[in-house]
Amino acid sequence: MADSDPEYDEHGSDDDVDMNINGTGKGRSMASRSKPQAKWEGGVSRDWELEGALDGNLEGVLGGIEEAQKRKRLLKDTTPLQRGIIRHTLLVLDLSTAMNEKDLRPTRHFLTINYAIMFIREYFEQNPISQLGILGMRDGLAIRVSDLSGNPTEHINAVKELRGTEPKGNPSLQNALDMSRAALHHTPSHGTREVVIILGALLTSDPGDIHETIKACVKDRVRVRIIGLAAQMHICAEICRKTNSGDENYYNVAVDEVDYKQQFLEITTPPVLRSTDSEAQKRNQAALLMMGFPSRIVEETATLCACHGTLTRGGYLCSRCKAKVCNLPATCPTCDLTLILSTHLARSYHHLFPLRNWIEVPWSRASQKASTTCHGCLTPFPAIPASAPEQDVPRPKRAPGASESSRYECENCQNHFCIDCDVFCHEVVHNCPGCQSTAHLPGREQCAGAGS
Amino acid sequence: MNAVDGTDRAGAHNDAEPPSLLTIILDTNPHAWSLLADSLPLSQAIANLLVFINAHLAINHANKVAVVASHSERAEWLYPTPTQPGQEAADLNGTFEPEGNGTSGGVNGNLGGPVKPLDDANKYRPFAQLEHALLSNLRKLMDTTTVDAISSVPSTMMAGALTRALAYISKQTAAHPGATANSHFNYSDPSSIAGGNDLSANNGSGSATLGLTTRILIVSVSGDLADKYIEIMNSIFACQRLGISIDVLKLAGDTVFLQQAADTTGGIYMSLDANSRAGFLQYLMFAYLPDQTARNHLIVPGEQEGVDFRAACFCHKRVIDIGYVCSICLSIFCEPLADGNCLLCGSHLTMTNFGQRPAVIPKKKKKKKKTLEGSVGSPSSGHATPIPG
Repeated sequence: MADSDPEYDEHGSDDDVDMNINGTGKGRSMASRSKPQAKWEGGVSRDWELEGALDGNLEGVLGGIEEAQKRKRLLKDTTPLQRGIIRHTLLVLDLSTAMNEKDLRPTRHFLTINYAIMFIREYFEQNPISQLGILGMRDGLAIRVSDLSGNPTEHINAVKELRGTEPKGNPSLQNALDMSRAALHHTPSHGTREVVIILGALLTSDPGDIHETIKACVKDRVRVRIIGLAAQMHICAEICRKTNSGDENYYNVAVDEVDYKQQFLEITTPPVLRSTDSEAQKRNQAALLMMGFPSRIVEETATLCACHGTLTRGGYLCSRCKAKVCNLPATCPTCDLTLILSTHLARSYHHLFPLRNWIEVPWSRASQKASTTCHGCLTPFPAIPASAPEQDVPRPKRAPGASESSRYECENCQNHFCIDCDVFCHEVVHNCPGCQSTAHLPGREQCAGAGS
Repeated sequence: MNAVDGTDRAGAHNDAEPPSLLTIILDTNPHAWSLLADSLPLSQAIANLLVFINAHLAINHANKVAVVASHSERAEWLYPTPTQPGQEAADLNGTFEPEGNGTSGGVNGNLGGPVKPLDDANKYRPFAQLEHALLSNLRKLMDTTTVDAISSVPSTMMAGALTRALAYISKQTAAHPGATANSHFNYSDPSSIAGGNDLSANNGSGSATLGLTTRILIVSVSGDLADKYIEIMNSIFACQRLGISIDVLKLAGDTVFLQQAADTTGGIYMSLDANSRAGFLQYLMFAYLPDQTARNHLIVPGEQEGVDFRAACFCHKRVIDIGYVCSICLSIFCEPLADGNCLLCGSHLTMTNFGQRPAVIPKKKKKKKKTLEGSVGSPSSGHATPIPG
């Protein structure tokens, strides 16, 4: 692992004492996650020895596995948690020589840039009124790639320009943390302050005591997450543990490209607020903000906008004082009202009202409801077997998570859906087609009937 | 790839015009239609809509249509006909394709088989089949509507209709033979994950030409959808992610959210008044028939208008333009909360500077008063001094 960083020796010997090398490589297989092992260490997967394939009917078994995999993503906890939706995040990319490694194809550097672009888009999709900024670690310095702002295009362009640059030198976690702390210093107290570090190197070359910086981060409520690309480092684990009030899940090492992407995109989900945080929030006043939802107008002739004083045809009229601003979100320059597009806010509501998971439907239930087609997309279901299935020959076992009848039932409206609609409704629409399309939910009527 | 080996593989593929799936959501709220009975009765609107659907089917033999009714207390499919529990599942397949033979009326126990009463030699077969299915399903929908249902729920199930339409579209897009990884929503594809952004929306329009292009037309007659605000917004964002444009033709009432839907997804929004309502068919044919690619070359109606971006509050479902937003969960309320606790997340909220008068004005008044008092005092003293002097 040492040869992953050829400049390590030169710098370490040349530079003087206050350069703290905190990295300790432990080898990839010691990733902090409970991942079993890397690909080459895993046992041979014997796909051909599937259970239940005795009768030669592979379809049931394979179909079940596919559906189970599709559902695995969905079966997450749907209890509504309080989330910090107004987020302020700094993404710190490693631009040191370690990023030239080719263990993640094409190189760590290019892959990180691609995933960072993806991350930026998804981040703003999930957190529409949040702010993002990007820093880089190169040559022992923290460099500013893009400032904290809410405009995804700006960030994507800045990250794309990194493609033309070469990774160079050593990273410095301390400098990066200090710079992000400074950048997050002015952010309001009702938002979160997060730093996400992508670290390819196995060292950090710092100008001072990084533990002081960690303490300062904890004091400033900055929460740090680190994704390692090579191996676990003690100092990273310590940073993440201390800044996340003892939680150790915020430092992970990516095993391969897929795992890396998954971990990267996981960060786009708003973080759960901890009770200590909410105490801090109470101290810092969780506020009810007055906001205006202005409407867009188009004018015959150009008029001056209140924000820049330029001539524009159309814009948004402040809902309180009717001053014209040209872009949203903005603060009205005249009456200081926060103006925002209501669509920005509405994008995050599915986090607040998550769709309940649908349950698997056994054959007995399917024949009871006599469902023949998916309620959402009208796709026909596999036919219900005529005989009572209980005392029948044991059916081939389906993979856990997949329904034996290929039907999934919403417990509210008791309609049956196919696996595609299950995935689609939970991942994309966040609505249940059955519950939304009837005013009389069977569950409620039963309750009403029992009550009356 | 083409440049490398000098062949033109894509050429043959692009020659054929991509088939288009038009999903129409027809608001069949009886209350609203009864108000329109003078200018545009439902029967006439349906006749016009059928002409429009036929025009869409005639453009390309592979074009498809789906119609959902957003009724007062439920959302139902009008076309294709959903199979009833007693029916065979197999005869449903034919109804998706206009040229398929297996279309069933799906009513009156007409199980399977081609539609017999409509074998009119003078009528293009898919038109006849669609017309029959749509009309009989609509009639059945109206027949099963009880008086109680109408009197209890005066609104329409737009959110449900949109969600069902979206589920159907997603399945059709995935099942389309020409569908590539780009043209339908792929959960593992990075670019499609964030389809809602401006950058990837451009990608979407480019790649959409390969597979099935889809759009939604909402013919809306009822106002006030505020009680389903969140669900409607969820469907709108889903459309945006999938690159489906929502066209809205508003015959009566005023819904803020449908206008936002059209604006967000890049569709056309038009609102007809009592005079222009008679030209329903003309509006349909001229404004809504061209698909997304053709619209790039046309002057699209509705661009000269502003968009109403008001939101609905969570507490009373009022449509508001100034609201109070919880900084924790972003819920919107129309008035300051009485006990200061957010109704959704329960966190205690303080009003930072609401109700606080701008500090400048009273201070100035005080200063003026002081100076006035001072000036009052000084002239008297001033008076006092000159007089003796």
